Amino acid sequence: VGHVARFYEAQGVPTVIVAVEAFRDTLEGMHVPRALLTPFPMGRPFGAPGDSAQQSDVLKMALNLIEEATTSKTIVHYSRS
Amino acid sequence: MESFQEFRKSISYGSRNNLNFKFLARMTDEDAANFLEALLQQLSVFIDTHEIEPLLKLIVEGQIKAYSGTPKYQYAEGPFAVMAKPIRSAKVGLLTSSGHFVDGNDPEPLGVKEMSQQEAITRISDFIRETPILSSIPMNTLAEKLMVRHGGYDIAGALLDANVVFPWQRLQEMVEGNHIDSTLSHAYSFVGACAQGLLKQQLESNWGPLLLQESPDALLLVPA
Repeated sequence: VGHVARFYEAQGVPTVIVAVEAFRDTLEGMHVPRALLTPFPMGRPFGAPGDSAQQSDVLKMALNLIEEATTSKTIVHYSRS
Repeated sequence: MESFQEFRKSISYGSRNNLNFKFLARMTDEDAANFLEALLQQLSVFIDTHEIEPLLKLIVEGQIKAYSGTPKYQYAEGPFAVMAKPIRSAKVGLLTSSGHFVDGNDPEPLGVKEMSQQEAITRISDFIRETPILSSIPMNTLAEKLMVRHGGYDIAGALLDANVVFPWQRLQEMVEGNHIDSTLSHAYSFVGACAQGLLKQQLESNWGPLLLQESPDALLLVPA
């Protein structure tokens, strides 16, 4: 979704990507605006099935990143709050 | 006699296909051997402790190692839109490359009706040359009406709970909890294993206007 992020940012819409850590180099290379990297297996970037608390925690951190980031390529790592 | 290289290659779209471990095909023989040795050791520990976290950590580390390195697409800089309002006042959209769609509205990739997950896996090389199709998914879609098909990743977790990669219910809860103001009326999803040039064309001609007509303040994007 790196190209998707770049497209909408160019249209003036802020984006945040939530992705597993394995995508780190790909996202850095694409110079995406904001990304939250999570320590989960591929295909489960929001964590384990059924763990709604953890999924919400990831989502809140991602949403906050939209507001907090001040420069492009702001890539941060998820840690459970 | 099958070589070790042939064995690990068979795990990525071969006779032993397993999308959770397809990364073994990207590793050197030595790295793959070290990973499998560590996996067996960790499984031995698991037999007695039943602690899953160390096992998951090992798998994640293997995936990170296999996918590290120089990426295919590299840009020296990128566009950056400043968030113009507090997130609690924002209308937020969701777009994922997880391959979700609504039952009864199958995007029919490659012109195939009711394509199975197995066929999507078998035809992954066709998908990556194809124009992606965007599925519109009403935010109030019931979980049992949400379908997923994607030949590029193991969808087992998404079948149990779509929110692991398509967090439409979690996003709605953010509205109820006053963390954001609202969502777009629909979420969107496509199969990320697609031709990137054709993806960019779709964004310019179709997907851009479609999402922008609802004036989102921000977008949540999720690759599978």
